[in-house]
Amino acid sequence: MRTVSAPRPLHIVMVGWEWPPGHTGGLGVHSFEISKELTRLGHRITFLTPFTGPFTPVDGVTFRFPGEPTVTPGKQYPPAYWSGGTADSPFSDAADGYNAWVGLLEGVGKVDVVHVHDWFGTFGGKALAERLQVPLVMTVHSTEYDRSLGHPWDHILSREQAGIDGATRVIAVSRHLRQQLIDRYHADPHRVRVIYNAVRPSQRLERIDPTKRVVLYVGRLAAMKGVDTYLRAAARLVPTFPDVLFVIAGEGPEYSRLIHLAASLGIGDQAMFLGKVSDEEREVLLAGSSVFVLPSVVEPFGIAALEAMAAGVPTIVSKTSGVAEISSGAFQVDFWDAEEFASRIAELLEYPTLRAAMGEQGRWEALREGWPERARETVGVYLEAMESRGRGP
Amino acid sequence: MKIVLYLHMHQPWRLARFRYLDLGSGRSYFDNDRNLGIFRGIADRCYRPALDRLLQSLETHPEFRVSLSVTGTFVEQAKLAAPDVLDRIRALVRTGRTSLLAETYYHSLAFLVPPPELAEEVAMHRSMLQTEFGAQPKVLRMTELAYSDDLARFAESQRFSGMLAEGWEGMLRGNPPTYRYCAAPAPTVMLLLRHYPLSDDVGFRFSSKAWNEYPLTADKYARWLASTPGELVGLFMDFETFGEHHSAQTGILQFLSALPDAVHNEPGLGWASVEEAIQGPPRDTLSVPYTMSWADQNRDLGAWLGNDLQRSAFEAVKKVGLVVRRSGDPAILTDWRKLLTSDHFYYMYVSGHGADQGVHQYFSSYDSPYDAYANYMNALSDLRRRALDKLGVPILK
Repeated sequence: MRTVSAPRPLHIVMVGWEWPPGHTGGLGVHSFEISKELTRLGHRITFLTPFTGPFTPVDGVTFRFPGEPTVTPGKQYPPAYWSGGTADSPFSDAADGYNAWVGLLEGVGKVDVVHVHDWFGTFGGKALAERLQVPLVMTVHSTEYDRSLGHPWDHILSREQAGIDGATRVIAVSRHLRQQLIDRYHADPHRVRVIYNAVRPSQRLERIDPTKRVVLYVGRLAAMKGVDTYLRAAARLVPTFPDVLFVIAGEGPEYSRLIHLAASLGIGDQAMFLGKVSDEEREVLLAGSSVFVLPSVVEPFGIAALEAMAAGVPTIVSKTSGVAEISSGAFQVDFWDAEEFASRIAELLEYPTLRAAMGEQGRWEALREGWPERARETVGVYLEAMESRGRGP
Repeated sequence: MKIVLYLHMHQPWRLARFRYLDLGSGRSYFDNDRNLGIFRGIADRCYRPALDRLLQSLETHPEFRVSLSVTGTFVEQAKLAAPDVLDRIRALVRTGRTSLLAETYYHSLAFLVPPPELAEEVAMHRSMLQTEFGAQPKVLRMTELAYSDDLARFAESQRFSGMLAEGWEGMLRGNPPTYRYCAAPAPTVMLLLRHYPLSDDVGFRFSSKAWNEYPLTADKYARWLASTPGELVGLFMDFETFGEHHSAQTGILQFLSALPDAVHNEPGLGWASVEEAIQGPPRDTLSVPYTMSWADQNRDLGAWLGNDLQRSAFEAVKKVGLVVRRSGDPAILTDWRKLLTSDHFYYMYVSGHGADQGVHQYFSSYDSPYDAYANYMNALSDLRRRALDKLGVPILK
């Protein structure tokens, strides 16, 4: 991966989705962090989003959204692109509206590269890049195959495919995901680069009462997250560890089913469902936890695990998660193996020397390369894309 | 100048994955299929071809000598996986020009646990060598070439006439490593020292294309040996150097075959077994008040007991040893001794950086040192339960 600095400041049009503070998932955080570091390196970003804000400001980042300039950020809802959809199924129409707006966008000035994240804005991003005669770079954070556990929506697949086919360079957030793009989407291996996610050091480094025994899962409650395995593991441990709390923080479509599962496994007393937690609450939870568990069936990266490691919490991840590729200090377990998850949790609860050693190693691994390195790698991909344009994507 | 070629043959009983949930299940800690599978592979690639070449050299070169140490766990596995390997060693011993060395039966850290463990393991090993090979060794080597004044005293108490040690500048005080010495606290114990630069040329560097002496031929190596000043040059290394650490494709087996000829062509160069090499007056006495080994840049026990995981596991196994002995159950004692094998602690080595990490990774049978520690502690906890159970002590968990 080249991380050379650019010969001159670049202007990047980023075709995005969410941006803090109004974000619900990791993509908003990723866009925010990588943009912040890119502007620190002297580059300028025009960030396109279907939402009207408000946006946490970053020097060097300009926000554009459908409906502007007549719509003031944060003042009007629903945003202009929403008009084509219905309340029941607004999504693909909403995407169409956003993409049409992106493709026809005027007044962005001289642009060096168009960078699109995931499927939502690929049609528009591709059209814009072609019109401006600049390369398209696409970052894939997850695929529709994974999100749907093998039952993809065609209209999303076609948007993903268009981005992967049209991009001069594709960035995957793990080697595992890169391979999937090559196998399932027939991406040209020479054009796919891996850039991992990163985390910032936790503000809260002191541990809350280390004698309290809490096992923590933080993440969406979706089928691909494998929370069933976690609950089954907890059920194996409850008889031996009557003092341990198994905490599940997050919301999602599986919420009530998982609560029922916990009850039917007889661990209702020791399994605690917190619902959605704020960033600050999550840091408090991490500071008070002995073990963090990421049992995902499918996990292109798994930033929650990296955040736990950065907070010094020993972590168990499924072997198929992208984060497993860069964390030798985490236990790696087959996502279906509840017995092994249970054993790993018990080992961390029982052996304090192990807990301390893995906590320390995890923190080192999670923080040794941060967003600044990731931004430099991203610039390297922009430069590759700019050089190879003209020789065809 | 006499060459003392000494090769170490050992395989540990590696642990199976023994989960925390397996505690109390009665499952075996050791994965015999896997261990014997590994043994068979190494027998094909290394033990058979290299032993055959050594025998051939002994037959064609009356001056050639080789010395071997063979651990008890190696012999146990060989009997089950490849008994012909033991026949090949017997054939070497029958020539009368192959010396065997004594050591701990389990290739263990017994020298760091309270008596009588060390004396018992060395006695077990001696009796095994007598039974299997008809050998009565005079020279002792400790696990990982550990050496200290205390160990020299131990060797003397067990009536050994010699011990091996690393020829490390730190303890030589300006003396060259190429002479016979004797232990300061036990003058009847002669010391033979490993010449680590020349040993590592073969053991570590032979197949490295980045090495400026690559490729190393037997003739070139014999010239280096001949031009080394002194009386004895100790080439001590793992037997697996020949065909396993360096694969056959690197030419290491041809090198082994060609060495006696190349040595023969150098005037003044010859061979000695360890038992021959300890004969004669020592040049000086050597004192080593701490424990030294042949591993890593520091030549200490850091590779086995250098980090918190390793020290915690070792303290735990020592403690469990007390109840194990009190339980009086031979099966429990045997399992405990297998857990005292040094390799288990080596797998728990952690270091993000440095030249040694690659070496450790290569020898590990786990994905990470954390896996190694957790698995070991589970097995040990189970063993402790069994011992307490035998003693009739109620188990809380």
